[in-house]
Amino acid sequence: MNESNLRSQPVLEVKGLWKEYSAGEETVEVLRGIDLNITRGEICCIFGPSGSGKSTLLNQLAGLEKPTRGEVCIGGVPISRLDETELTNFRQRRMGFVFQSYNLLPNLTATENVALPLMFRGVPKAQRERTARELLERVGLGHRLNHFPSQMSGGQQQRVGIARAFIARPDLIFADEPTGNLDSKATLEVMNMICTFARDFHQTVILVSHDPEMASYAHRVVTLLDGQVVHDRRPRRNISPFSEYSRPITLPHISGHQEEFGMWRTQA
Amino acid sequence: MEDSGLNRQDLFRLCMQNLMRRKARTVLTILGMFIGCSAIITMISLGIGMREAQERTLSELGDLTIITVRPPSGSRGSGRLDDALLRQLRELDGVAAVSPKLSLEVSSVTLSTGGGRYLAEWTNVVGVDTSAMENMGYEFLEGTPALQPGQAVIGEYFAYNFRDTTLPEEADIVDRYGGQWDDQGNQLTVPDPFFDPLGRPCTMEIETDSGRFSVNVDLVGQIKTDYSKGNETAEGMLIPMEDLLHLLARANGTSETDVVYDSILVKVSRVSRVEGVENRIKAMGYTTESMEEIRKPMERESQHQQIMLGGLGAISLLVATLGILNTMIMSISERTREIGIMKALGCPVSDIRAMFLVEAGTIGLIGGLLGCVFSLLLSAVINWIAAARSPSELLSTLLGSGNVTQVSVIPWWLLVFALAFSVLIGLGAGYYPAGKAVRIPALEAIQRP
Repeated sequence: MNESNLRSQPVLEVKGLWKEYSAGEETVEVLRGIDLNITRGEICCIFGPSGSGKSTLLNQLAGLEKPTRGEVCIGGVPISRLDETELTNFRQRRMGFVFQSYNLLPNLTATENVALPLMFRGVPKAQRERTARELLERVGLGHRLNHFPSQMSGGQQQRVGIARAFIARPDLIFADEPTGNLDSKATLEVMNMICTFARDFHQTVILVSHDPEMASYAHRVVTLLDGQVVHDRRPRRNISPFSEYSRPITLPHISGHQEEFGMWRTQA
Repeated sequence: MEDSGLNRQDLFRLCMQNLMRRKARTVLTILGMFIGCSAIITMISLGIGMREAQERTLSELGDLTIITVRPPSGSRGSGRLDDALLRQLRELDGVAAVSPKLSLEVSSVTLSTGGGRYLAEWTNVVGVDTSAMENMGYEFLEGTPALQPGQAVIGEYFAYNFRDTTLPEEADIVDRYGGQWDDQGNQLTVPDPFFDPLGRPCTMEIETDSGRFSVNVDLVGQIKTDYSKGNETAEGMLIPMEDLLHLLARANGTSETDVVYDSILVKVSRVSRVEGVENRIKAMGYTTESMEEIRKPMERESQHQQIMLGGLGAISLLVATLGILNTMIMSISERTREIGIMKALGCPVSDIRAMFLVEAGTIGLIGGLLGCVFSLLLSAVINWIAAARSPSELLSTLLGSGNVTQVSVIPWWLLVFALAFSVLIGLGAGYYPAGKAVRIPALEAIQRP
């Protein structure tokens, strides 16, 4: 399969996805027939009020829960049919996560936290921590390399979380309300960072939020209501996933460093 | 696809970090394991010490692998102790050697040596198969078995049979029980006899109803006392069976063709086979004697004691196991979210299991190591206290050398076993929590606190 084929092929395909939860006698339908294709390089925001089913959708997309009906395919692999071990393996190679509550391991330093996904792949300590340090410098935390999560602000922790999500170069990044616990300044920083990384490395980002502000960072906004897609729009005129991202990059560290990251060099 | 998963150093580092994070709890759990391990090692070492002391006592009583076969008692049978039986016994499974025994039954046997100065009037002269003496386990203090006609082997205290005819009646013998004794009834010194009989020319005068005659005997060897083989090993004289038969024939004026022995000694290859061989001989209708009658009940009692001691140790080890189990379960409920995060970040399930097993196993290992070291010290202290009763033996007791009985004995295999067992217990206690950790869904990570 050549490069152009890869690009045009949806990285994520959702077909007729249903999810029901049964609480005693009652059955609650949280997702009711979702169909969705997400192209490689897209930043897609799943938007909706609370209770619309967006978090449940994210869980299905990331394979954290099994759907009641329907199928989720990532890169052509039907992940809803994988078992726990295969899923873990798949997640390790293909997915990155940014969590609302950062979810850094409290007993590991910033560098060790960022290096975790590589550690789970068996990358030697020196190598993975060098990569982690480079990435932390890129997100402006070069002075916090050996700090523990409890010694950092929320914004800083989330930047560590972003570095961790991107370090293994996954195809898909899931960000679940990544700015939910942050103030507006930190929100701006964090979102810029996610978008910059995604653009630089042609990675696909699936953003879940109830904040309309978030939607403005995305190429595409999928609006959910009562478990159904009610709106699917591309807010910008130029919607190619490979177009320049219009928002200014506010991180001075990034320019100039790029060439040094062998592993991180942008694909031409 | 490259091989995925944590490498070993990382796994170990993560585990150590997790253990260090809850220092107090880890230390307390290790302490529990340490106490349990020390308890079981100490208890077993006491049991081993007891058994060793008992074995020493038994071996002083005599050879444990000798069965004495006697004629059937009462109406139980008509078996005779003859050469046919001898051959039959030699063929039995587990029998190493057999020897017939026959006493010189005449009116009197008088031994004299030193030109008639020394006389012994009541000597037990026994004929045995002297060619089988070494296989039978006779322990030679000096000299060789009597293989030639006219040769004889004497018991350890043979010389004490003689009286010195030049001395007055009250002082003409040496009492071999006349030396010093300690409080516990052990004889410390044995007075020397008048002479060393070995190698001296000795004359045996045999008296019967029909007359008397003399033969010269060559004393070629001396054996250690072993009552399981008979009193003659202490004070008597052992001569080749052929010689004895000749003497009897000459004394009685008959020629013996169909010999019936007094008894037959059967040497069994191992202590553990004695019971089986003895039962088979009994089943043939003969009467038997062996040390089994003493050894078995002693062994049974010592086993009971060991089980009791071991049980005490096992209880503390069980409590320690519950301690590890508790610590690991606590650890999981605290780390549920963390495990979810690790799973979401792609940590293989097998590594999560391994992590918990290594953590629990490490607690077991450290506790076990400390337990081994501590019980070695404790054992030394116990032996020290026990030895305080006889300070002269202190050094050899502590070093475990010599013939001194130690109260607490820790063989190397006990330490290895205790250590391996501690690690196994750790792993066992970690098994259930690890299974629990593995089942924590990655979804935990995404749930908002």
